[in-house]
Amino acid sequence: MTRQFITLDQVSKSYTRGGEKLQVLDQLDLTIPEGDFVALMGPSGSGKTTILNLVGGLDSCDSGTVSVAGAEVSAMSRRELPAWRSRHVGFVFQSYNLLPVLTAHENVMLPLQLTPLSAAERRKQADFALSVVDLSDRASHRPSQLSGGQEQRVAIARAIASDPDVIIADEPTGDLDRQSADDVLEILSRLNAELGKTILMVTHDLIAAKKARRILELDKGLLVEDPQQEA
Amino acid sequence: MHFPLRLALRHLMARKTRNGLTIVAISIAAFLLCFLIAIVQGLEASVQSASTTRLVTQSAVSLFVDLPTSYQHKIDAVEGVHLTTKFRWFGAYYQARKNFFAQFAVDQDRFLDMYTSDIEIVEGPGGVTGPEARIAVQKAFESDRRAAIIGTGLRDNERFGFQIGDQVPLIPMIYPRTDGSAWEFVIVGCYRPLKARIPDTTMYFRADYLNEAIVSGEAFGDHGAGVYYVNTEEGVPVEQIAEEIDELFVNGPQRTQTITEAAFASFFVSAIGNLPLFLGTIGGAVLFSIFFSVVNTMMITGRQRLQEAGILQALGFRPLVSTNLLVFEGLVISLIGGGGGILIAYLSEGVLAQLLGQSIQNYQITPDLVLMAIGTSSVLGIVAGLAAGLPFLRSNPTEALRSSG
Repeated sequence: MTRQFITLDQVSKSYTRGGEKLQVLDQLDLTIPEGDFVALMGPSGSGKTTILNLVGGLDSCDSGTVSVAGAEVSAMSRRELPAWRSRHVGFVFQSYNLLPVLTAHENVMLPLQLTPLSAAERRKQADFALSVVDLSDRASHRPSQLSGGQEQRVAIARAIASDPDVIIADEPTGDLDRQSADDVLEILSRLNAELGKTILMVTHDLIAAKKARRILELDKGLLVEDPQQEA
Repeated sequence: MHFPLRLALRHLMARKTRNGLTIVAISIAAFLLCFLIAIVQGLEASVQSASTTRLVTQSAVSLFVDLPTSYQHKIDAVEGVHLTTKFRWFGAYYQARKNFFAQFAVDQDRFLDMYTSDIEIVEGPGGVTGPEARIAVQKAFESDRRAAIIGTGLRDNERFGFQIGDQVPLIPMIYPRTDGSAWEFVIVGCYRPLKARIPDTTMYFRADYLNEAIVSGEAFGDHGAGVYYVNTEEGVPVEQIAEEIDELFVNGPQRTQTITEAAFASFFVSAIGNLPLFLGTIGGAVLFSIFFSVVNTMMITGRQRLQEAGILQALGFRPLVSTNLLVFEGLVISLIGGGGGILIAYLSEGVLAQLLGQSIQNYQITPDLVLMAIGTSSVLGIVAGLAAGLPFLRSNPTEALRSSG
């Protein structure tokens, strides 16, 4: 049996909006085994993105513990988190979030600068990541010269370039047409199946969610596992 | 600390118009800084290089009232006085009013003896150079009443281009000739200033040429000496000599005021107002407005980079990296702009020195000035970058990622 890779234990998180306290997560428990591909679904404001941010160390919880790959992320300081993220987490965002002044290749190279690899090794790694998403021929293109689907594939290449343990995808197909969305989901499935990457994906798209091994549904901070989940 | 240099360079190249305009603004600021400080330094240098052992005796009424020539032998007789010379403003121009330069009527032999350490005669009649040039000039002065020496600036300036042996007609504004003709001078020597206060665009000629023409009715005007420059003996208290000279003429016909050459130079600087303060105020205001516009531009850039800061944090870069990117960008832009301004100041140095030469000697873009301009530009860039980039240190990555960029 695979070990529990991502663990949220009694996690609570609230925000203050317009002077009112909004409880987004309330003593949430969640475990995701290594190599799993989980889709998080639920209405807006149900706390899906908050879970991604907590797992990725972009945000901190009010109480409880968040652990990823044996490290207690919720106990890390602001100084420790960036280095940890660079080694263990790859992000894929809905709006791609590529840097427009850099080419596709340079965007993929960027997180590799935080690794001890030599310049030649970084270039090789970036080449490999772009080949995984089948965009080697677009390496020298700027994001503005790519389609939405291609941009998202570059973003996936950037996310996997430094070989992280976890890929966190926040509505990766939200801005894409069906064909491009299918391409992106296909790549994520391959990363999970062939490279064993643990993937935590937020989506509103049931078709996209069905590509995951497991679907979790959040509603008002409560976690409901989809009865139709695939093993 | 991992610094994404390629990203920094790409940012610099990405917004060519904005960055280009910012560079132009900083170039103007750096040029202004160099220009204004060079003027102030030029003014100060002329005061500082003035002799404290040389006195100037002028009319107590006004600098523009000529002292009588009869005063000279009385001043010569004061104990501690070594040499005196008349020093009279002539005020004429060459061909057109725009070709104005300073001319002084002096006692030529005394003047050359008094100014041994102030000017060097670099060329005499017949192209004589070296130590012989001075002797040749003295002889030429004796043999021709019209003889005059000029500074290298008048020789080398294309507008004048006077050469040894040239007959130079000057059109008078103070002492017109009765027949309406121009005054004629013969250039017998060329000097190079050894002190900052001595301009290289001045002509010195024989005082008796002017006075004799007035006395003989060839020219209008009053017989006189202008002011007297007085060299004192070594080790003699100059204040005491000044008092003694002024006491000689306390009952007229012209009361005198004797001051050190340094005080006289200060008087000239202050006569055109508190120029350093005036220039400093204008320059400071311009510099500050450019400074704030650069900071504002960088802050706009910073706001547009908030999302990028979030992306970089998500990728594992520390928030300080985004701040450093803006500081680097600000520094590079400022240094390019500063370098451009310094280059303009250097390239225009000769032209501006000529334009200012009559009123401000020693206009120079010195290495100290260059360092100051580079330092100021650097500080400007760093402050602007910090002002734009410091908010990143407190930014929440999730909020930064949500910003529109």
